[in-house]
Amino acid sequence: MTLGIGALRIGADLGSTAIKLVIYSGDALLWRGKAPTAPNQESIVRRLIAEGLSAIGAPEAEYRVVATGYGKKLYAGAVKTVDEISANALGLSRLSGGAARTIVNIGGQDSKVIRLSDTGRIVDFKMNDKCAAGTGRFFEQAARLLDVPLEDFVRLGGASTREVDINSTCVVFAESELVSLVAAGVGKEDIIRGLCASVARRTAGLLGRHFEEAVYLDGGPAVNSCLVAALEDELATEIHVLEAPQHTVACGAALSIPDSGI
Amino acid sequence: MTTQNTPAPDRVADRKRRNAARIAGEVERELQSLRGREDRLAGYDYFLDLLAGGIHPGAVERRTGMPALNLLCIQAPLELIHAAGFLPFKIFSGSHAADALNAGGLPALTCPLLRSVQGLLQFEDSLARRPWVLPTTCDWIVKLPEMLRSTCPDAKMPDHWLELPHLKETDAGREHWRDEVFRLKKFLENASGRRIGRKDLARSIATYSRAWEALSRLEARRQAGAIPFVWFLALANTFFLDAPERWTASVDALIPTLPDNAGRKEGRIFFAGSPVYFPNFKLPRLIEEAGIAVTGDDLCSSGRIFPGGVSADAASEHELVAALAQRYHQGCLCPVFADNDRRVHNILAVAGNFSGVLFHVLKGCHPYDLESHSLENALKRQGLKFIRLETDYTAEDSRNLLTRLEAFRQTLGEA
Repeated sequence: MTLGIGALRIGADLGSTAIKLVIYSGDALLWRGKAPTAPNQESIVRRLIAEGLSAIGAPEAEYRVVATGYGKKLYAGAVKTVDEISANALGLSRLSGGAARTIVNIGGQDSKVIRLSDTGRIVDFKMNDKCAAGTGRFFEQAARLLDVPLEDFVRLGGASTREVDINSTCVVFAESELVSLVAAGVGKEDIIRGLCASVARRTAGLLGRHFEEAVYLDGGPAVNSCLVAALEDELATEIHVLEAPQHTVACGAALSIPDSGI
Repeated sequence: MTTQNTPAPDRVADRKRRNAARIAGEVERELQSLRGREDRLAGYDYFLDLLAGGIHPGAVERRTGMPALNLLCIQAPLELIHAAGFLPFKIFSGSHAADALNAGGLPALTCPLLRSVQGLLQFEDSLARRPWVLPTTCDWIVKLPEMLRSTCPDAKMPDHWLELPHLKETDAGREHWRDEVFRLKKFLENASGRRIGRKDLARSIATYSRAWEALSRLEARRQAGAIPFVWFLALANTFFLDAPERWTASVDALIPTLPDNAGRKEGRIFFAGSPVYFPNFKLPRLIEEAGIAVTGDDLCSSGRIFPGGVSADAASEHELVAALAQRYHQGCLCPVFADNDRRVHNILAVAGNFSGVLFHVLKGCHPYDLESHSLENALKRQGLKFIRLETDYTAEDSRNLLTRLEAFRQTLGEA
């Protein structure tokens, strides 16, 4: 593949649980990849870039990187950084073809609600404070306690016949509640459905009663269709999820680079 | 059988020394950070020295030669206290180390400011010696004496309650408050052993009017972008740490040295909500890091330390006290009032000078928390940008706050 100088736009989202990376040429998404967040995030980003460039057959291509996410300042090679709320808004607005008016993002340790104008600009946003309740971390903790891989949540939650009422979305206090339910013989599939409903209620609280459609869910937990269904029930509206919802913020970072450079 | 743990006195003393060192270390770190700023001016050094000299009444008494009177909040007329021969000393603390000292013995959602104040008071050995005046503002203040009984058993506070009516705009509220201020005058006369005469009052009113005018001049320069929020806060926080005359002269000396930086208009916000006190300048620093400039505030620790000036021309002592009572009551925008629409109106009136409003809620500061919602609705109805940030004295939420501030900065450019 032959690429012109500055043709590649790379977005790197250095999140609390995963580092996501996308490579664009113009407006065409060429590659996306991710790796678990670990110490030395700079080297993880470099490894992902090398992996991506190799995968698209352009290991020597020139590129520009925009970093976002909690660790955005840990990658020294970025031409600029952008906050993850702005990156999320830009990425999802573009990827949804301008249809998105409300974004619900559930990340590794925070949740956000972003309202967009009809031109894709941020009208308003809300973010949970330092508590990680109801975020990706909560699902990870639940997966560990239930001894069920996160990938199986969709299958098991979908097989549930009844919803168990779970009160806590707190990463700490959920443990005793889940242990009690397991000890009481409640099926794991019903517990998982209850977990999704519990997170959906908390997320709906952040969103409030007034929101504009179309509503899009992104972030890692958005791949969980059980959670999507619970959120649809809670909000009484359709929830849209794009392909690879964990990468929308990285896409926004990449797309914040003008085609002609910075 | 259980036995009560009674630690040896020397171990208790050691623990106290360690805690005092932690608090002192926190203060020193913030001072070093301020001293190391590129925008530091020689005129700031007086204020830095005040902060370095200790935030306790003993230090102020040594500096001024006047006996201090301990206060909380901003409702007691400073002029009246000063006219009685006391130096009003408003206790404050932004120390997380002091806050953490008390965390176990108080309700989980206690206001960090009051928790920190209580932590700090454990090192104050003169609680019983100096008079205390407490206004009945929020629940945390009202219950402070009760909460202090376990940690400061020698404290006999307050010596005087200033009963604040929670209705401000009614005749009954106004009359009640005026009676309270006259009661305060009697208390101060008894405590000082001297009668507060018209001349004393007029002199103190003139002193504090000059301080208010100096702060107003500084405020005007701030609106033009000449003084960063961190410095403005540091200056305002020191008001109770020295004689008002010296503080006023130092502000007046600083103003002509401020840079003429009336730069761009974008990214300038108004800061409202819970107070910010040294050494907890976490949020102001994050605001700077996000590229936002605070060019106005209505904090009781900063822009609202005075309710405004009072004319000293009234004919009688009675009229002067009544004028002070009216000024402090009407000028007070504390959210503990049930009829506090004036606060929203004031912010709306100046909002056109700013790109947006940031509302700070100290976690556990319920009156401000409650009021944030009505203000948010009122501002958004006017199409103004608004962000509400709830935090405390810990640093662990810094990245989360910075993310929100950076995104808020982006929206300001689109206002």
